[in-house]
Amino acid sequence: MSDLRTRGDHPMGDHQRDDHEMTIGFAGDHKVVKVKLKDGDIKPWDLHTEFKIVGTDVKRVDAVAKVTGKARYAFDMNLPGMLHGLLVRSSIARGKVKSVDTSAAEKAPGVVAVLRTKEDGQRVRFIGDDVVAIAAETMDQARDAAALVKIEYQQEEHVSNFRKAEGAPKTDADGAITDPWPESAEMDAALAKGKASVDATYSVEVQTHSSLESHGTVAWWKDDSGELEVWSSTQAVGGTLQAFAQAAKVPQNKVRVHAEFVGGGFGSKFPPGSEGLFAVRLTLAAKRPVKLMLDRYEEHTCTGNRPSAIMQMRVAADDKGRLTAFDYHSVGGPGYSGQGGNTSAPTYYAAHLDKGARRVAHQDLATDTDAARAMRAPGRPQGFFAAEGVLDELARKLTMDPLALRLVNDGSALRQYEWKLGAETFGWKERYNAKPGEPRDANKPWLLQGAGLSSAVWGQLGGGNYKVTCRIHQDGTVEVRNAAQDIGTGLKTALAILVAEELGIDVSRVRATTGDTIDPAGPASGGSTTTPSIAPAARHAAAKAKQKLIERLAKALGVEATQLAYEQGHFRLDGQRKMSFVDACKRMGPEPIEEQGERFPNYEAYQGNVCGCQFAEVEVDARTGVVRVTRMLAVQDTGLVIAKKLAESQVLGALIQGISYALHEQRIIDHRMGRMLNGDFNHYKIAGSVDIPQLDAILVSVANGANNVGAAGLGEPPAVAPAAAIHNAVANALGVPVRALPITPDRVLKALKSKASMQAEREAGGR
Amino acid sequence: MHSTPHAPLGADFSRRSFLKGASVAAVAGTSAAAADTAATSRVTRFGPGLHEITLQVNGAARKTQVEPRTTLLDALRNQLDLTGTKQICDRGACGGCTVLLDGVPINACMTLALDVEGRELKTIEGLANGDDLHPLQRTFIECDALQCGFCTPGMIMSGVACLEAGATKSREQIAGCISGNICRCGTYTRVVDAIQMAAKQGGGR
Repeated sequence: MSDLRTRGDHPMGDHQRDDHEMTIGFAGDHKVVKVKLKDGDIKPWDLHTEFKIVGTDVKRVDAVAKVTGKARYAFDMNLPGMLHGLLVRSSIARGKVKSVDTSAAEKAPGVVAVLRTKEDGQRVRFIGDDVVAIAAETMDQARDAAALVKIEYQQEEHVSNFRKAEGAPKTDADGAITDPWPESAEMDAALAKGKASVDATYSVEVQTHSSLESHGTVAWWKDDSGELEVWSSTQAVGGTLQAFAQAAKVPQNKVRVHAEFVGGGFGSKFPPGSEGLFAVRLTLAAKRPVKLMLDRYEEHTCTGNRPSAIMQMRVAADDKGRLTAFDYHSVGGPGYSGQGGNTSAPTYYAAHLDKGARRVAHQDLATDTDAARAMRAPGRPQGFFAAEGVLDELARKLTMDPLALRLVNDGSALRQYEWKLGAETFGWKERYNAKPGEPRDANKPWLLQGAGLSSAVWGQLGGGNYKVTCRIHQDGTVEVRNAAQDIGTGLKTALAILVAEELGIDVSRVRATTGDTIDPAGPASGGSTTTPSIAPAARHAAAKAKQKLIERLAKALGVEATQLAYEQGHFRLDGQRKMSFVDACKRMGPEPIEEQGERFPNYEAYQGNVCGCQFAEVEVDARTGVVRVTRMLAVQDTGLVIAKKLAESQVLGALIQGISYALHEQRIIDHRMGRMLNGDFNHYKIAGSVDIPQLDAILVSVANGANNVGAAGLGEPPAVAPAAAIHNAVANALGVPVRALPITPDRVLKALKSKASMQAEREAGGR
Repeated sequence: MHSTPHAPLGADFSRRSFLKGASVAAVAGTSAAAADTAATSRVTRFGPGLHEITLQVNGAARKTQVEPRTTLLDALRNQLDLTGTKQICDRGACGGCTVLLDGVPINACMTLALDVEGRELKTIEGLANGDDLHPLQRTFIECDALQCGFCTPGMIMSGVACLEAGATKSREQIAGCISGNICRCGTYTRVVDAIQMAAKQGGGR
């Protein structure tokens, strides 16, 4: 089933492209398709493949290192003679550096190197922009020296609030956009076609990535050999290598970057940042290793964020809930870069509409604050929060169940299946409050309960011409290697499982190594593409190595390779003699087998994206405004589930991050200064253990048919829906939407108050 | 934020910023060296500069030199190369640097190295007995109670204290024990699973 496509004596030399039949899809909808396998590729796994290891509860292969404290992250590197570096940062939000006096810092005890990162006259773009880099014997000495640096600025007026930036939309006291929509006769007609319509403004605040390992790098310039060795907390060893080589002005083949363990990234750790580049410049200056890891305040203020946004949407639907118009636009506040503040709404609900009835627009407004970076499903949690919220408002106007409205408009067969499976499992009918805003228990009139849901989509199944190394050793142990970094997703475990499955051996025999640029290049850990990009190459490498092992064994036994069959970890000679994998390895000779697997382009897949939906239930204390999430369920298309337990962990983690985003997280800025006030974990609230309810994840294994494995990444997909589902649950409990994240008690109380006054108005009008 | 009790420290200062630049610190004798001096003057002068101390870490006496302002966290990580104890917030808000001081969980970032001389410290590196993992380390692996792994050592140390205190009667009680530990990947549910499983298997050692 998983044999190499061999022809004659030349296993890889098959230049015929014939059709291969495979079954793709999922339990609820599948079909047989013919795919064209590329030269040398192996037969793909499909819906009918029976696995021994793939999809089971294999333990995380680097878990022992992590639970014993032996796992060394960049932050944990201690090298002989290592110095400690830091960056002195701008104390003003906008202006130019007038002068910098580092003379006292240079003379301070323990200081070895002081570098300017900005010359006189250069701009500082936000509070926290780098100006000077210092390396000293200890971190305390570096901090002492930093206090002695004198920086004078030519200060300019700043804008840290994107709502006040030039070009910002006008809003009313409640934050709703009051500017007129761009004119469109078609849109007006589409809106008029509906039985009901909604026009509402939603908004979100800045969320910081808050990876627990801060950004930073340990850089070691080896003057004797002219080599630069670097340990970096990064999501992209390849990209950072190029940047480091450039900063050091050395050829790229003299640079090696390690990221064996990375303490989270969530999208913030692609570029090396000034902290990486100046770690390199400092080690060059000092000719000693330099560790430059950021502190928590820098982490909150200088390493990117999920930007704030205002989103306005108007929709209309007919009496069956079928959308007639979908008009969405958003304004993002991505900081000084002025880009990357995009939001993304679930436009698939409007797929049936004419172009004129479907409009999406976005505008970014620059401010003098830290620049946005990609964060787990960039743009989606924001846009889905707004759009799914507005759809719930529409359902309410139509007195429709929100789920029914989704089912009417969602054209995805996979999500239709997921909606029904999720609703059944979650108990949607019982949990959804059919009388929004009314307490369930008359004895506890202050306790409001509700349920909400949201769809999700993420569209990536990987690609790129990546290679993976597979080595079989004489002692029966196996290696799989790729330079891509495992940032906590479980990449190492996935690679080990794929190779073990292909070789028919136990996972414990396979050692997976990632995060070292000495190995074949891998993708950056972004867009949920890492696993789907390299998994097919890992399987291919193992298949090639297996073929080599068969050839070597045949030679040792004095038989033809074709007389040997290999199944389930055992070789058979002419269907008779049986030999284990380990015994076969003993006979293969002293040289390890080393093969590189290739990543072939994707076939035409069942679908090119990953679908899901989520359900949330909340309790709201109407007296205090405090929201408690009481239950959540994620139904998640996972492509081929490789490591089941780890995949579940990632989905549950996305729910927890989503609870945090929905209820707690926001950057608070003193706009007079442009300075973040809550840049620490005391005041920037992240959901804790006591905030987490029962969480469940249903993994829907989909044979997506994209390649010989059919994996999907799980960073993004489950991170899209949580905040939307929670907000909708709160709206169901309150009987009125909050329309802003985070859903803090003050916002809840305000929403309840507005509901009360609306009711009073209605009653007054009725008389 | 920490619902787990903190060990009383010998001195009532706890942040290096308090001592930064100060050359004199009055300390009621908590260490052998301090006690000797205290007998004559009742005041011990530390710093500026380095001071030799011996820390009892994971059953071994480890001699090192620290400044008065050096936190226990920095001493463990930078001087003793015990980097399993993580530096995350450095302000006592995340629990990533949780170690056991005389069996009680503390934040190593909020503790001065000088203050814990002569007292028994246990870090994540001292939990397993060679390859024989602590039951909680085993259940963490079993339950996949970790992702990136950066909060994991602190979580486990808080979890060990939770087990040893027998505070495992309900999931809520366990969640309370680790409420001072922040995880960004979102492992809380499975961390509670792991502590609960270890408790069912007989708790600590």
